[in-house]
Amino acid sequence: MKKLSFRGGIHPLAKRHEGKAETSGKPIRDFVAECVCIPMDMHMGPPCKPCVQQGEHVKLGQVIGEAVGRFGIPAHASVSGVVTAVGPVQQLRAQPSLCVTIRNDFKDELAALEALGDVESAPKHRIIPAIQAAGICGMGGAGFPTHAKLRLPEGKAVDTIILNGAECETFLTCDHRLMLESPGRIVDGLRAVMRAMGVARGVIAIEDNKPDAIESMRRAAQGRDGVEVAVLKTKYPQGGEKQLVTAVTGREVPGGGLPMDARAVVINVGTAAAIADTVIEGKPLISRVTTVTGAVKDPSNLRLRVGTAFADAIKSAGGYREAPGKIFAGGSMTGTCAPDDSVSATKGTNGIVTLTEREADAAREIQCIRCGRCVMICPARIMPYRLMELYERGELNTAKQEHVKDCIQCGSCSYVCPSKRRLLPSIKSAIEQLARRRNR
Amino acid sequence: MTLPLSTGPHILGKRTTRGIMLDVLIALTPAAAAGVYLFGVRAAWVLGVAVASAVATEALWQRLSHRPLQVGDLSAVVTGLLLGLNLPSSAPLWLAAVGSAFAIVVVKQLFGGIGHNFLNPALAARAVLLTSWPARMTTFFLPERTLLPVASTAMVGDAVTSATPLVKSGTAMIDLFWGNIPGTIGEVCKAAILIGFIYLLVRNVIGPHIPVLFVGTVALMTWLLGGDPLTAILSGGVLLGAVFMATDYVTNPMLIVSQCLFAALCGVIVVVIRQSAGGYPEGVTYAILLMNVLTPLLDKLFKRRAYGEVKQRA
Repeated sequence: MKKLSFRGGIHPLAKRHEGKAETSGKPIRDFVAECVCIPMDMHMGPPCKPCVQQGEHVKLGQVIGEAVGRFGIPAHASVSGVVTAVGPVQQLRAQPSLCVTIRNDFKDELAALEALGDVESAPKHRIIPAIQAAGICGMGGAGFPTHAKLRLPEGKAVDTIILNGAECETFLTCDHRLMLESPGRIVDGLRAVMRAMGVARGVIAIEDNKPDAIESMRRAAQGRDGVEVAVLKTKYPQGGEKQLVTAVTGREVPGGGLPMDARAVVINVGTAAAIADTVIEGKPLISRVTTVTGAVKDPSNLRLRVGTAFADAIKSAGGYREAPGKIFAGGSMTGTCAPDDSVSATKGTNGIVTLTEREADAAREIQCIRCGRCVMICPARIMPYRLMELYERGELNTAKQEHVKDCIQCGSCSYVCPSKRRLLPSIKSAIEQLARRRNR
Repeated sequence: MTLPLSTGPHILGKRTTRGIMLDVLIALTPAAAAGVYLFGVRAAWVLGVAVASAVATEALWQRLSHRPLQVGDLSAVVTGLLLGLNLPSSAPLWLAAVGSAFAIVVVKQLFGGIGHNFLNPALAARAVLLTSWPARMTTFFLPERTLLPVASTAMVGDAVTSATPLVKSGTAMIDLFWGNIPGTIGEVCKAAILIGFIYLLVRNVIGPHIPVLFVGTVALMTWLLGGDPLTAILSGGVLLGAVFMATDYVTNPMLIVSQCLFAALCGVIVVVIRQSAGGYPEGVTYAILLMNVLTPLLDKLFKRRAYGEVKQRA
């Protein structure tokens, strides 16, 4: 079968199996912490409003943060027990996040939502509201509320739902394991979305470095209406939303637009499984699979309760192999740095990766030698070296004309730069400054 | 515990600018070795002085201007070696030293150092030496010994030619190829240059398009004008320039399409100079320098369509 792909891209950590070899063979293991600290801003959009108080007893799955606004989603207790604190805690964002801390009583008394039953017979109009009530947001990292993605604005139409099983980011194997261990749930989730949106075609897209996952999903997709598996070339950022749409449908997402502007919706495979759990069992989003790897003694794929401290997850993965020099949530290309290991894993935390001090050492940056590597590999086909130059000179308007906003922030340019220039950080800053200017 | 915060990517690729320069040096080694073999110890002295002068000048400049010492990136070594390879083995050692110093200070550092020069430093220095000391720059020793196999036309001995190194008609291709002819230290042995070219391709330092289009255009233009294309590409500095100088990252355009135009125009200018100046030997140097000057324009003229860019209606 033809391998689908996009133009540009790189193959990071090619000689280390993208950093995945340590965990790709490790079955998902449950881990439940003694205490969870659940941020109210795990998703993109307005944060939840806490609706429990210190000292209150909560059940597993009980709403602890109410959804705010049409785009908002609620947060649920990921353990049963006593609320020990409601207040700001330093998390992965620049400013402290409002959090609800719960001490686990390990009783796991469940307060489930109403289940809709089999995905093929559940009432179509109730699926998207159920997804919102379950607090589901994109589990590939960005945390965009899923119900908002599925509810199309007037005049928009979609003909393809793409499940993102590319997992092109380095180090991560959580989606890989999920495709091996719960393929049925993933297809169920896809079918629920297809029925809710009235879309006939569903494509599960997987990179060819995971032949076992391709096989597993093919088997699960057999006999399911309109569901197919597409094989992608192993290349970063194959799982980038826009790149995936182009690889699968051959269409480009117009500049400044969303996948729906190319008549497609992209959902992470983990999100699809969470949707199935909600529709079939009425289970809110209270746990997820996270790859804990890097400089830890026993790299693992853990099913973590939302709000589990990085430190607890790392302890469960055997503890540090040596003193950490850096910890980030996500893979090494786009992961977000943690200030320390007290921060919480959220609905979007697909990986917790630790680097040794030596690995974390920043390389010295020197001048651009115009080698053109960043230009050659840029999947957005913009000119990273030039945009950095414009940013440094303060010529933001020119940068805007030269499509700085089309950057998908994949970091490939910084990765390939032989002069170790901070290309992505400069481009990000340029985009932020342009946004601030517009808001003023 | 307080850990450093930074934007990704958190692990970078292994390739460094120093590593690329080292690859270029390795690729230049066969040409340098062949030059020393053919022209003797004198050639080694010229190369050595050119490199030493480039490195010393750069270090001194960075010291005096209170900039971080950056000779470790090896770019000055590349510049020095390239200039040396573009000199005749007859060149006085002071000429090599002066040329390298000019390349580093005037062409490279005055414009901001590595990455900021708009001309190839070695070629610009060579052009200056040519205009300042034309006789010394065009006095060529014949090779002291020959590289096998050899045809009867091989030119060996103690003789000096001060004429053109563009070979007289009748020289066997085989001698042009192996370098049994007078010329600058690095340009004569085409076999050695090709080995370096293959190395650069394998190491993915350069793509094939610039050298191939450059040389291909020279061959095609020469053939159209009634000359012998093979002789044209095997004589003078066409191959050395196409493989090592036209591919200089800093001074050629950034997009593949504009690089192709750059290379083809280099080829055209070489043939025009050779034809109109009656076999004037320095077509390659001036062709590349001219195109270096045009590079910012090519970068401006050629834009590629960004992903998802919608054509604006007029």
